[in-house]
Amino acid sequence: MNKRSITGILAGLFVIAGAVSAGAADKPLLLKNGNILTISGGTIQGGDILIRDGKIAAVGQSLALPAGAETIDLQGQWVMPGIIDSHSHIAAEGDLNEMGDLMTPEVDIKDVLNPEDINIWYALTGGVTSVHTMHGSANPIGGRGIVLKLRWGVKSEELIFAGAPLTVKWALGENPKRSNMQGPGPAHYPQSRMGVEASIRNEFELARDYMRRWDEYNNKTKELGPAKKPGAVLPFPPRKDFRLEVVADILRGKYLIRCHAYQAEEMLSIMRLCREYGVKLVCFEHGLEGYRITNELVANGVANSTFVDFWAYKWEALQTMPHSAALMAKRGVLVALSSDNAERMRRLFNDAAKTVRFGGLSELEALKTITINPAKILGIDKWVGTIEAGKDADLAVFNRHPLDPFTVCEKTLVDGKVYFDRAKVLDDRKKAEDEKKKKETEAKKPKEKSNGGEV
Amino acid sequence: MTKAARSLGSLMVLGLALGIFSGSLKAGQDLHKVWAIRNAKVLVSPLRPPLEKATVIIRDGLIEAVGANIAVPPEAEVLDGTKLLVFPGLVDALGAGLLKIPEEKYDASKIYSGEYTDKDRGITPEFRAFDYVNLGKSTVEKYHKLGITAAQVLPDRGIFSGQSSVFTLGNGDKNRALLLKDACLGIGFSPAGLPIYPGSLMGVVAYLRQSFSDARYFDMNADRWQKEMKGFPRPKYNPQLDTLSGFAKGTKPVVFFCKNQHDIKRAIGLAEEFKLAYFIADVGGEAWRVIPELQKAKARVLCTVSFKAPMTSFLTKLGKEERERAEKEVYPKNPAKLAEAGIPFAFSSLGTDDPKSFLEGIQKAIEAGLPGEKALEALTTTPAAFLGLDRALGTVEAGKIANLVLTEADLLAKEPKVRYVFADGERIELKEAKATEGEKPTVNVSGRWEITAEDTPKLTVDILQEEGVLSGKMTTPFGVFDFTGGSVSGNQIDFEMNISVGGQQIDLYFSASVEGDTMRGTVVQGSQGSSEFTGKRIPG
Repeated sequence: MNKRSITGILAGLFVIAGAVSAGAADKPLLLKNGNILTISGGTIQGGDILIRDGKIAAVGQSLALPAGAETIDLQGQWVMPGIIDSHSHIAAEGDLNEMGDLMTPEVDIKDVLNPEDINIWYALTGGVTSVHTMHGSANPIGGRGIVLKLRWGVKSEELIFAGAPLTVKWALGENPKRSNMQGPGPAHYPQSRMGVEASIRNEFELARDYMRRWDEYNNKTKELGPAKKPGAVLPFPPRKDFRLEVVADILRGKYLIRCHAYQAEEMLSIMRLCREYGVKLVCFEHGLEGYRITNELVANGVANSTFVDFWAYKWEALQTMPHSAALMAKRGVLVALSSDNAERMRRLFNDAAKTVRFGGLSELEALKTITINPAKILGIDKWVGTIEAGKDADLAVFNRHPLDPFTVCEKTLVDGKVYFDRAKVLDDRKKAEDEKKKKETEAKKPKEKSNGGEV
Repeated sequence: MTKAARSLGSLMVLGLALGIFSGSLKAGQDLHKVWAIRNAKVLVSPLRPPLEKATVIIRDGLIEAVGANIAVPPEAEVLDGTKLLVFPGLVDALGAGLLKIPEEKYDASKIYSGEYTDKDRGITPEFRAFDYVNLGKSTVEKYHKLGITAAQVLPDRGIFSGQSSVFTLGNGDKNRALLLKDACLGIGFSPAGLPIYPGSLMGVVAYLRQSFSDARYFDMNADRWQKEMKGFPRPKYNPQLDTLSGFAKGTKPVVFFCKNQHDIKRAIGLAEEFKLAYFIADVGGEAWRVIPELQKAKARVLCTVSFKAPMTSFLTKLGKEERERAEKEVYPKNPAKLAEAGIPFAFSSLGTDDPKSFLEGIQKAIEAGLPGEKALEALTTTPAAFLGLDRALGTVEAGKIANLVLTEADLLAKEPKVRYVFADGERIELKEAKATEGEKPTVNVSGRWEITAEDTPKLTVDILQEEGVLSGKMTTPFGVFDFTGGSVSGNQIDFEMNISVGGQQIDLYFSASVEGDTMRGTVVQGSQGSSEFTGKRIPG
């Protein structure tokens, strides 16, 4: 395969996609004759999906074709809700770990979005339609993440999943300890798991104090009222601290908290801390020992965004097994399978299938780990995650059942628009290769002629 | 002796040493105060058709009159402009080529042990380009050859790079050449790449946000204390926030160094959030990717012409072949696209190695579709207006600073053939590319020389010659000063340096012809005049 011609086509796609999104007026689209894995309402054999204005207008059998609608005959292919990756690092520019300080909640992935990251395109080829992009895990309270829709070819602000709640990422364990990235010089604080937790507690206290100072100022201002008494000393506002503003908003419950953690003990401990401060923890990231504390996860309502068979890459990630995800799901934990990696992102459906093999999840429960479950964790389940009338037309089409080991993603739609069409890509690629060959042969011809002339 | 008296004494010693104050002013120096350029084709402004057979009168550094039927004052020295075109002097809207910043090595072990400075973090708002500018003759001559007679100077580095200055490029005395001091604050999205805060791009954005907020808070606090000293606690002074406050309030402009289209959007976002006055320095050449955003923000762009695709560009990611194609076919269209979209832009030499490649870049932009008059606008009227200097620069009109370019062909042609420039009314004649220029050296001047000017003590100069390039240092009673430039052509040598005496910066420009172990020539000291000198090689 010729690399240049492939990338050439991708460049073309980028430009074309950009052009299409500019002109908005979409015709209704009818996907006909597919096996529809609705997730919320069973599987519809030989079903149709009608898409209007980027939303699913109707799902069922033998839907009427509205006037002016386009049709795609799926010929018995499988349709599932677009895959949602709740833990990723794509489409962002620059270093995604702020190593310069311990607490950095003031940083925001929204400031560094890169809509030209080729991994957006690659993710689409694996049926992924939404991702949660975050910074790394070097800081106990790191910064703010963002949910994106993979509209390849648009500007960064158009990538953002409108209405998705704001998220903040925390991290526990070896990474915020910087165990594997210690420079020369004195040891970095914190050096222990106790220290990591203490640093979060300390930040909460700083934020409480900060909130108290602002409350005092606001109350004094209010007391004075709009008509200021002559001679009254106006209160002076405290300094605005962008770091503590975010921590204060964490305490106020404004953010969905995502917490990178591996070990059961540190997960139990941070859940206790959150209860103490009234902070709602939404989800553990990786949480490889989650299977050991399923009762506590359920009791605290904390989800787990985990891997199925990826572990032992460092000592804190040793104590797990591929059955962990299934065991947690069976015990009532909200489980999502996430990629953490642009390559794994393209085959999350394979990972979902492994929960059937390891731990015996039903096919439906397995598919939920990459659709409605991450949607719930991200607070976007009213728009995506299942195939239902009224939801966004974010869909993935596979030639076989998506949990079949030999399945291939054929089409990916976001907001009812086909962003990836495998047949078309292969066709374009072939055309480009033929074009190149033609050019090369043409380039050779006159050379032979002129040589002939000289002889 | 008091300190002041001592330093005055030292100044006089050096004056004597170089024969500068001893009345050896060369006849004719500094006397041409009034000039008349006659019979020339004058492009008053890129927006108007040129005047044919016009006269330009220059007096005391300013343009006195321009027009067809203008009487030549009897005291004027006349320059026949029959074959010449007169253009307004060009302006480099932002560049770093005139800076000479001493190289500093940072100590990595200190950074890891936490003993780093703001400088290590790339945070130097207090840096003033004015203090580090080099207006040495051989440096400025490179600008004159292309008709550039004014420039804004600021380094593109770090997060807060410092404050710019704007100069006319004529005589080497920066105090006289200065147009604007501490004009713009440079802001870049470039973390130091070390484990110190801010160490990441996202950290830099957050840091900038906090800094602008802090600067305004500092200002508000200080204001409040000024008004209510009684009963209001006095805020602590912070020099950095004090520097930032004028820029954070939007009373002085900042310039964002944007490495790619995303930086441009970040810059616009920050500027709107904090209501900053700003310029976009389009270092990455990707303004064409965000034209609607620039239009909406009514942004002013300082457009570079190096046409290198940024690392983040999709076209770079496609591999070498695609990147090179894009750098040849896509990126050079950036200025043309800005012109077409009606986005105000001035050309900036940032990213080009020297004035020559700056002009080559502009020519590339013209080949890629930028109309010539738009290019000229981006080098004259637009930068003048951007800098708030449109009453002083940008056109050939009465009352403006006499910054002019006299050429034998179109200024933006491949071979511009600049014959003269006027900078601040001072005429500088440019040698035609003679055979001697760039001639192979016929002498080797490496070694230690003793230099004697009229009635002076001796000075020692150590010279190292590598092919046609000279480097070295001069030892004086006030310290040792490195050459800021130097060259050899045939048996002709020249070298220059900037010395500091009693807090005063003085540019020295030596030129001499060499025979064996002796040299003979002149030394020019800024605007003060010149004197003869001789040199002898010290054996060993």
